[in-house]
Formats: sequence, C-alpha cells, structure tokens
Amino acid sequence: MSDSETLPPQAPAEQLTFSYVSRPGLLKITLINLVFNILTLSIYRFWGKTNARRHIWSCIHINGEPLEYTGTGAELFRGFLFVFGLIILPFLLLTTGLHIAYGDESPAAAAASAIFGIFVYSMIGFAIYKARRYQLSRTLWRGIRGNLAGSAMTYSLLYFGSMVAKGASLGWATPVMNTVLQEHITNDMRFGDAAFKFKGPAGPLYPAYALCWFLFAVILFVSIAVIGGILAGIYSTIDGTSSQKDFAMLGIGIVFFALAFLCYMVIFPAIWSIYWAKQIRTFAEYTRFDGAQFKLNATAGSLIGLTVVNFLILIFTLGTFWPFILQRNFRYMASRLKLEGAIEVERIRQSSLAVPKRGEGLADAFDVGAW
Amino acid sequence: MAVSATYFDGQSAKSHEVHVSEDGQQLTFSGADVAQVSWTIAGLHAIDPPSPGQPYRLTHEGAPGARLIIRDQDFITQLTARSRHLHGGYTRKDITQLLGWTLGGIAVFVLLGWIAVSVLPAPIARAMPQSWRQSTGIEMEKAMAGGKVACSTTAGDRAIGQLLANLAEGVPDMPPVSVHVYDLGMLNAFAVNGGHIIVTKQLLDAADRPEELAGVLAHEIGHVAHLHPEAQMVRLAGVQILSSTFSGTNGGNMSSNAIFIATVLRHSRAAEEEADAYARDMLVKSQIDPMGFKTFFEKLLKLEGGSSSQFSALKALGSIFSTHPGTEERIAKIKPLPEGVVAKPALTPEEWQALKKICG
Repeated sequence: MSDSETLPPQAPAEQLTFSYVSRPGLLKITLINLVFNILTLSIYRFWGKTNARRHIWSCIHINGEPLEYTGTGAELFRGFLFVFGLIILPFLLLTTGLHIAYGDESPAAAAASAIFGIFVYSMIGFAIYKARRYQLSRTLWRGIRGNLAGSAMTYSLLYFGSMVAKGASLGWATPVMNTVLQEHITNDMRFGDAAFKFKGPAGPLYPAYALCWFLFAVILFVSIAVIGGILAGIYSTIDGTSSQKDFAMLGIGIVFFALAFLCYMVIFPAIWSIYWAKQIRTFAEYTRFDGAQFKLNATAGSLIGLTVVNFLILIFTLGTFWPFILQRNFRYMASRLKLEGAIEVERIRQSSLAVPKRGEGLADAFDVGAW
Repeated sequence: MAVSATYFDGQSAKSHEVHVSEDGQQLTFSGADVAQVSWTIAGLHAIDPPSPGQPYRLTHEGAPGARLIIRDQDFITQLTARSRHLHGGYTRKDITQLLGWTLGGIAVFVLLGWIAVSVLPAPIARAMPQSWRQSTGIEMEKAMAGGKVACSTTAGDRAIGQLLANLAEGVPDMPPVSVHVYDLGMLNAFAVNGGHIIVTKQLLDAADRPEELAGVLAHEIGHVAHLHPEAQMVRLAGVQILSSTFSGTNGGNMSSNAIFIATVLRHSRAAEEEADAYARDMLVKSQIDPMGFKTFFEKLLKLEGGSSSQFSALKALGSIFSTHPGTEERIAKIKPLPEGVVAKPALTPEEWQALKKICG
C-alpha cells in the first residue's frame, strides 16, 4: 500500500468545536414512549430508547456536522432476550427451585442468592463496558464510527476491584480508582482508527475529595443527631399508652424520613458536586485526541443545578421523562466541552474493529446503561 | 439540475465537495477527488425527515457508512416529492419489525404463561420428592397459622385420629394427612403441601354433627390426593418468574411466603370439582352419611346468601369468573348413601364433644 496516495501527507488541520443545537421533537418521542410502553407491556422501551438517542445525538454538532445514532430497537431487544434467556431466567428457576425444595431459610437458597449477588456485582463493569462499546459503535460523525478496542472482562475485574477498594477504604480510594477506570476505558476508546489517550495522576483530586468527604460526614452525623433529638422530644410530649405513642411516632417518623430523604437527595448530591465537577474537569484535561487536549468548563454550581433539576424531573414524572434528563446531560457536556489544538481530521479512517451485533442486555438488566 | 453537496464516503472523515444531479431513477454525483458515484433512488435512505431550512442527509443501502448532505432546498423538495420513502421517520419495514417483535413477544409471553399455568404444574407436583412436599407443607402451615399454636387436647387429638381412621375405612389408599385446628378468626379449611390440613376453630364451631366435619375433611383430602396445593405452588412460582422476567427486573425479593399463602387461598374450579368428587366417593365407601357434607354446604350458602341474592345477575357473572364453583351446583351433586348401605357414625357423641372442645 502506498501511503502517499491514500493519506495526504499534509491534511489541513481543523479546530473542533462542540455545540448542542436543540430542535423540537423530544416531547413527542417521550409521550409516544409512555403510551407504547403501556400498550406493549414495556417491550417498546428498546425502540423508545433508540428514538430518544437518535434525536439527542443529532442535536450534538461538531464543526456544524451532527452526530448520528445508528442503533436500532431490535438490537437492544435481542440483547435483552440474550441476557434474560442465558442468565436471569436460569437463575430465577434455580433459586425458586431451591426455595421450594429446602425452604426460605435454607443455606442452599441463601447461598444461591449470595452467589448471584456477587455475580451481579462482578458483572456491573462488564455491563458498563459492553453498553459503552455498543453506543460508540452506533455513533457516527462524518460517516466514521467510534468503538472500544479492549476487553470487557478486564474492565469488569478492574471495576469489581474498585468497588471493593472504595468500600474497604470508606470511599478514600475513590479518586484513585476512578482515575484508573477512566484511564482504562479512555485508552480503549477509538474514533475511526484514531485513539483517545488518557494520562494523569489522581493526586490533584484529593483536596476536593477530602472537603466533600468531611462535609458529608459532618452533615450526616449532625442531621441524624438533630432528627433523633426532635423525635425523642416529640415522643416524650405525646400522651397515652406506649402502644398509642408508638403508633403516633410511626406516622411522625414516616413524615420525617420522607423530608430527610428529599433533603438528602438534594443536599448530598450538592456536596458531592464539588468533587464531581473537579473530577470531570480533571479527566477532560487528562484526555487527548490526536494531539489535542480536552477542556471542560464544569463547575460545582452548574452541576448542582443539573442534578437537582434532573432529580425533580425524575420524581415528578415517575421516571417517564428520562429523555429530557439524557438531553440535559448531553447538552451540559456539549456546550461546555472544548478541544484545544488542531486535528488532521481528514487523516482519520473508518474503524476496522468488529462491531457488536446486540446491545446492552446486561446493562438493561442492571440498569447501568445510561451515560 | 446539478447542485453542490457534501459527501462523506464512509471510509475516511474527509469531507468532499461534490455536484449532485438526479434523473428520477438515480442520484449521481462527483467532485474534484470523487470519481462519479451513482445511487439508485429506490435504495436511498433519509437519516432524518426533510425539514425546511435544514440540511438533508442521505445514505444508500449499498454504502451504509456513506453520507450525502444536500442543502439546496429546491433540490430536496424535488427529490422527496416523488419518493415517499425519503420522507424519513418510520418506514413500513420499521413498523412491521416493531409490530412483529411486540406481537411475537406477547405471543411468547402468553405461550410461556399457558405452559406455566396449565401444562407444567401437575407433572412437576407429581415428580416432586415427598421430602420437598413435607418441608414446604410445614412452612406453609406455619405461614398460615401466623404464629398461632395448633389447638390440642389428648382427647381431641384422639378424636381427629379416629375421624381420619373412619374416613380411611373404605379407602385403603388414602394419602397420609395431618389435621390441625387453629383459631384464625375466619371460617375455613385448607389443604397445603404434604397432606397438611388446617381447619379453623370457627369452622369446627359451625359444624353441628361429626358428619359435617367429615365431609369437609374428605374434600380437603381430595385436594391432597390430587396434589392440588403442590401444583398451585409450582403455578404461582412460574407466574412470578415470568412476570419478573418480563418487567425487566432481576426478580427482586423472592417472597415465597406470599406464594405459599396465595397457594391455599384459591383453587381452580376444576380442582374444587375433583376434590368434591373424591369426597363423595370416599364418604360412600367409608359409609359416612354424605348428607352432613350437604347440610354444611347449605350453611355456607346461607352465609354467602343475603347480599348476593339481590344481585343475582351479578352473582351469575361472578360464578363464571370465580374460582369457587357455585355452591348450589356442588350441593346438588351430593347424594345420600345408596339404598341398603347403613351409615356408620363418623364419631361417637363423646369423641365429637372432645373434638369440639379441642381449642378449650
């Protein structure tokens, strides 16, 4: 092969800019999803997910040329059938059989549930990697698709290890483990035949992590003490027998926990947004594509706004407006991401990596498919 | 008419400027670094529906990665006016596919449901080892009793034993059963796995003669003999597996207690009729007066009556869907002992008194 003919030695280098160009249609997709999910006993969800992604992808423009999502509902549905037929259904049959044969409290039934639990945890990374590979391989820009070049199994082991390490260190391993995971998956990422590169230390993440960790611990401790104190105070003022008191307390307790839950769903993400903003900013800086460096203008305040509104959309629509949450996340990234440095885009050739035929079965089962 | 357009060949990310023309059959384009390409119009596929003022993106079935982006609105209008399939959105193929998968999915679900509900339970119940029936039966009885202890007195327990012995007299292959009386605050009797039969104190109180209780027990022994509780448990487990599979959750909490309790609540009409037939046969063979069974049913009917007599149409409708066969229909099938057969007492008056007082 003569390189001088196929690859122009001096392709013009381009500066790439990202933007999110909204267009109407997402509400219609969302409402159709809602109706069809009911009519088809939720089987439509795979087609609904595909339509929402197709819309949102097409709103993300790089140098005026939109992304294109080429996945299909049938691919997702086949992925779902594959995973349920091969993993979930056999397990359900097995545990049900064990429960029937030996009773609920038998060691055999408990062991089966425990083994399945560990299996599920060890497969979360696998599911994430496979879903990411599927989505990248179905994402086109200028007719060129993305992909992940590595092994889902390796990532899965790494992910399981990271969960264990985070738990064992009371969270303190999080910056290191997240950096390792991000490095692994980013270095596997391709656009056509061009690779992404990730390199950088986890150290700079620690000040923000320590701040969030202590804030979180203090607020958790103080709020439990305050709520406990208030409940105890109310308990002592209620007249009546102890069973009447307990009944009254149950009602008050439920109201309190509902309020506490709401506060926590707002306050805790808000605290951790400081860290998450720092992390995605840092990770963007550590990421290079063909010599250009990413920059992400993520701030804690904007991230809090994003997550709190997302949460409100989620609870007030009972999850049915998730396409808007997806849209908000992608818009956030697309409007704040920059690629500093020019890229010889015309040298990039189509990826020759194999493309998965089914999509996201495991991620659908574990509910970890969304970015 | 030739207009300029942008072309990506699907091989590289290089953007090519080309000139496009069409003749109703083919779309032809070429450019400075693109040799002439012809795409059949029938094989074109629109990435998105044409939208006024927006670039129009096309691909071709023969070149899946290639993209042609046309900006000339007149050209787009002219091209799409004649070809319905270029309006994008759902094609007939997409809709057929979605319908196919959905109907296919529902058909598979219904088929699996039918297998789980009608085909598998009886054979699996028969194949189940006796130890499984016993262990699950004990759990079910515990779950039903809800922490209550079975009523027991020496004389009462002996009376239950005697009543079972009298029932087994003419039926040597009667399955082994254990009968316990509990104060559960409702009038009922259940058979659960492994021949465990639960009779409530309220049912015992409502029975005026030992023959009435004998009829109820014969009916429950009928369920035991036909393995109805075991089959029902398998049926409900199957339904639970199916529903969790389809809803896309990984099963959630497998509460087998819920299965157990649901098991004993209702049997199908066919199962009730089988148990009735078994009871009628048993009472005749053991020479116990079936009229006790009959009068007890009549008492139940009176308890059921009242409200439902005003709504006879509703009641008729209910009996179609109800898992309880109509009580009147069942009563009509109970006949006295054949002529010449002398009834034996189900229990002596002393034994009956002892049994009635088993809960103190």
